[in-house]
Amino acid sequence: AIEDLFTDLNRHIQRSEFAQAIKVADQVLSVAPTDEDAIRCKVVALMKDDRTEDALSTIHSLEKRNVDFSFFKAYCLYRQNKLNEALESLKGLERNPEVLLLESQILYRMGKMDACVEVYQKLQKSKVDSLEINLAAALILAG
Amino acid sequence: NPIVLDLAYNYIDFPSLENRM
Ligand SMILES: [K+]
Repeated sequence: AIEDLFTDLNRHIQRSEFAQAIKVADQVLSVAPTDEDAIRCKVVALMKDDRTEDALSTIHSLEKRNVDFSFFKAYCLYRQNKLNEALESLKGLERNPEVLLLESQILYRMGKMDACVEVYQKLQKSKVDSLEINLAAALILAG
Repeated sequence: NPIVLDLAYNYIDFPSLENRM
């Protein structure tokens, strides 16, 4: 039953057995191809297993559906240093803390320190752990 | 170069499967 597959999947996730988690997510998807939890588990497990390209192609295969993986897509593109595309993928998303954090990290890599610092300043209300480390780095390079 | 942390990574999260098991 699908409940048993999700029990297995959950166990693999708890143990950080990402390759196994991907296999079980695929088993769920073979019987329930549109299951959003399984899709999300597969994409996240691929990302955590450093299979960024596979995560991206899985996300691309979903783009006709109404599932929004823009944040994950942006993160994968950031990992691949495709910084303009990564920023593009964040456009249109609600500017919540994770979106702002990723945006600031992309701007940092682009060397756009003033814009980066501006985003970090917006984030200071959100109480993100260790944010001050990245803000300090951007301020140093902003001069 | 100064140290920079990948703080965005912490937001790459699995969904809760609590109600699916
Ligand atoms: K950063």
